Amino acid sequence: MAYRIGSAQGFYGDDVLRALPMIMGGHVDVVCFEALSELTLAILQKDKLANPKRGYTFDVKLIAQKILPEAFKRKIPLITNGGGLNPQAAAEMVRETAAQMGLAGLKVAAVSGDEVLPRLAELQAAGEALAHLETGEKLADSANQNIVTANVYLGAAPIVEALQNGADIVITGRVADPCLYLAPLIAHYGWAWDDWNRLAAGIVCGHLLECTGQVVGGNSLALIHEIDAAGLPNLGYPIAHVDADGSFIVSKTPDTSGCVTLATVKEQLLYEVHDPANYITPDVIADFTTLRLAQVADDQVRVTGVTGKPRTATLKLNMGRLEGFMRELIFTIGWPEAWRKVEQMKTMLNVFFSRMPGITRVEYSYLGANSLYGSVAALPEDPLEVLVRVAFTADDQETLKNAVRQIMTTGLSGPAGMSVSGTTVGAEPRYVIGLWPTLIQREHITPAVEYWSV
Amino acid sequence: MTRRLYDLAYGRSGDKGNIANLSVIARSPEAYQEIKAKLTAERVKTHLGDLVKGRVVRYELDNIEALNFVCYDALDGGATRSLRIDNLGKSLAGALLYMPWDT
Repeated sequence: MAYRIGSAQGFYGDDVLRALPMIMGGHVDVVCFEALSELTLAILQKDKLANPKRGYTFDVKLIAQKILPEAFKRKIPLITNGGGLNPQAAAEMVRETAAQMGLAGLKVAAVSGDEVLPRLAELQAAGEALAHLETGEKLADSANQNIVTANVYLGAAPIVEALQNGADIVITGRVADPCLYLAPLIAHYGWAWDDWNRLAAGIVCGHLLECTGQVVGGNSLALIHEIDAAGLPNLGYPIAHVDADGSFIVSKTPDTSGCVTLATVKEQLLYEVHDPANYITPDVIADFTTLRLAQVADDQVRVTGVTGKPRTATLKLNMGRLEGFMRELIFTIGWPEAWRKVEQMKTMLNVFFSRMPGITRVEYSYLGANSLYGSVAALPEDPLEVLVRVAFTADDQETLKNAVRQIMTTGLSGPAGMSVSGTTVGAEPRYVIGLWPTLIQREHITPAVEYWSV
Repeated sequence: MTRRLYDLAYGRSGDKGNIANLSVIARSPEAYQEIKAKLTAERVKTHLGDLVKGRVVRYELDNIEALNFVCYDALDGGATRSLRIDNLGKSLAGALLYMPWDT
């Protein structure tokens, strides 16, 4: 009997309630929720600075209220990394929620130890240069030390421990996405921590599931002529049936829209992947070039032959540094002589920006013409309409406000027929976070598992 | 009509920091042999122009008849820092598939 993993979240804001038909239909043995992106942690840090009891994703509350009662009744564990920067606070909230609902005997686990923001000086003193993975620059040599997040990608081990200790819901901080899905497989099958091929198979399984809709017909160019768009809002999220040897079938929630085909699996397999023969995770290096795919039935793709290599001595650490704030404005410009008006508009904007030394970066693009593909295609010669987007940054929000105020004078003093898109004028500034990916020796990181009971 | 890479393949792009990866998945075994022979990293780099400021590395997956192109310094600093309207680079695969394919 294969072990069945459901995936009900692929980002902060996904529809976690897709877990309900999986659970109530008896289609899964465990459900995983992947909530964190590089941007999400920075958003959560903003929440946590405002309130030290926050810093986790709001979705965890929804999971606790709507999904946990049904899952607990059926002894189906839930795993989420939506604990973000405060998994303990999330666990405490879940315990309270579960107690109010009368879920006696429920056990909540929180996994932490990924956050090293308070430890950066100590780690550097211990010999960690924390050099940027792409540029090689040492952190200490960098001018911007305004680090707002610093989280190590943890592996499956602390989740396995929590599941083996009977946790009904495991809430973690920054655990590597596919490791959320590998963990219940290790807990269920007892795979050894050096069983590289099986661990790698679990990673590939997790990687295929972690973006929910993207393996069942969402974001699929291959299926653009076949997909039923009216069904996309109700996609049945994916479920994997995993055998003890690590081979598995990617499928989806029965009696829902969407589909699983060789094409949807191939598209997701390479999503956010670099060297496919060396997909590095905290638990194993997975090789995607040895696996085989077979469509064994409608909406069932079998994956066999995944191989793995020993895990690295290092873990990935990603830091976010606050670089300032950005605003964007969109100007509408029409025929005749649209390009001449565009040049006049840019000339005016550059005058405004040159008067404000606080403006740090300015970027122009023409929506519908070159904003996505840059120089890949030529601009139209005499367009009927051009939307000019200007995005600009400053260290502080006040400079941006002043810039917008001055730029708005173009409304009566600008090129003929020009208008500014009102929604962009009233928008709030967006945080600009520069990422600093680096590696850190494993021995510096010790995950912690804590428990709360109802 | 101009024949394009899209006639031979489909694909998806994703972001990791300032690095974008673009998969190119062949529509047939014959198409795979053709793109494997002709769609070099240099050609991809030239086609994408100012979208990719760093190097392009090509990986082959014979088992699923696909190529994977890893483009460095391709996202204006990454999703959290980029001033591009498509800060995640979701459309970049389309930019590559737009490549004219007359050979």
